[in-house]
Amino acid sequence: MFHARGWMYMSTDIFEQLGIMQLSDSFFPSGLYATSNGLEILIHDRKIKTADELCDLIKVFIKQQIGPADCVALCNTYDFIAKNDFEKIIKTDQILYSMKLVKEIRETSTRSGIQLIKCIQSFKDDKFLKLYSDSITRGVCTGVYPVCFAIAAYSLGVKKEQAATMLLYSFTVGMVGAALRMGIIEHFEAQKIIDELKNEIADTVQKNINRNISEMWQFAPEIDIIHISHEKLSEKMFIT
Amino acid sequence: MNQNRIPRIGIGGPVGSGKSMLIERVVPVLASKGYSVSIISNDVISKEDADRMRLNLATKRGLLPENLVVGLATGGCPHTAVREDPSMNLAVIEEMETKHQELDLIIIESGGDNITTTFSPALADYFIYIIDVAGGDKYPRKRGLGIETADLLVINKIDLATFVNADLEVMERDAKAVRGDKPYVFVNCKTDKGIDLVASHIIHDILFDEPPKAQQLKR
Repeated sequence: MFHARGWMYMSTDIFEQLGIMQLSDSFFPSGLYATSNGLEILIHDRKIKTADELCDLIKVFIKQQIGPADCVALCNTYDFIAKNDFEKIIKTDQILYSMKLVKEIRETSTRSGIQLIKCIQSFKDDKFLKLYSDSITRGVCTGVYPVCFAIAAYSLGVKKEQAATMLLYSFTVGMVGAALRMGIIEHFEAQKIIDELKNEIADTVQKNINRNISEMWQFAPEIDIIHISHEKLSEKMFIT
Repeated sequence: MNQNRIPRIGIGGPVGSGKSMLIERVVPVLASKGYSVSIISNDVISKEDADRMRLNLATKRGLLPENLVVGLATGGCPHTAVREDPSMNLAVIEEMETKHQELDLIIIESGGDNITTTFSPALADYFIYIIDVAGGDKYPRKRGLGIETADLLVINKIDLATFVNADLEVMERDAKAVRGDKPYVFVNCKTDKGIDLVASHIIHDILFDEPPKAQQLKR
């Protein structure tokens, strides 16, 4: 492929890889570094004390919430972009938003998602970015993060499977990073946990990549209760 | 450029330097002149500062609605929240801009941080950096991005200078040397000394001496 700037040859794969790196990089502004998904209250109450317990908790999140709900919404958004079916993207946005039961989780997801879309729009001209952004402004779409992430990743030339993997990986890193900042693990343990969760992430992507939007689900009542408890904390370092 | 953009001030400074207290003292001066202000407080570990400002400025004195004092957690990264990744602050501000076009000014308080704090230009149009004399009279000459680049340097707690052997003349000399022509103000938030001058800088430097929106609408 001849690059638009006209001075180098690069394969499309390299541009996809660069898009993956850009969106996955913690330098990319999404605001999610300020969230702990309720982990803070578990550490505060000494219900999570070790790296193994943290790893098990992240597995529950991935299996019961992020995989069957967020990941499915992302993958379906990809499919609907490919089919040029924007109405179904709106539907996906609305369904996923309705599945987020805790106010602060909904707020964080949409705030982060909308800022993500705005950031990508500042340097990418893309039909679905514009359609989705306009729909958010009109109040038709909520801007829930996984749908925003799908539209952003697609515009950067990232394939569906890679985007789904990035979503789960970023979630994992976010949880591990929060645990590191709260002092229950050290930096080598953090990388060990991420390494241990690779199988879980890969399996979850494969299980959910072709799941229909009507089969989207999430069931983790204890996590919902943790979210609610954390949301109500008066002293906290993290957004829920 | 966002057509609805409301002027924004970022206030940064070390832990305990008096960022929240400065806001608590300046907002009543601005309100007395008719300016409508909202506050976003980035706290490191709690929402205590936001809660206190809401109680003192909104609940007790009615200078602004309670829902226009917002506390934001920063995940232990106060500098990131106002510089490298201000996404959450921007999201809250954009929601305010949509719902409260009557506002003249949005104040964003950084969580307590170190002397390298600066604000993203996407987040703040004007940057006030506050230090206090209890950190020692060496503070201004230690430089740091906050002290060097802020639009206004505020040196707080001058009433404590004699108790901590801080020489205000040394601080003034060094502030001039480090900042050149950029302004600085000595302040005592307990007595309001210097507070009017801070408010005047805000009205002149960022509001360009425009009257409050509410007064403009009446014309």
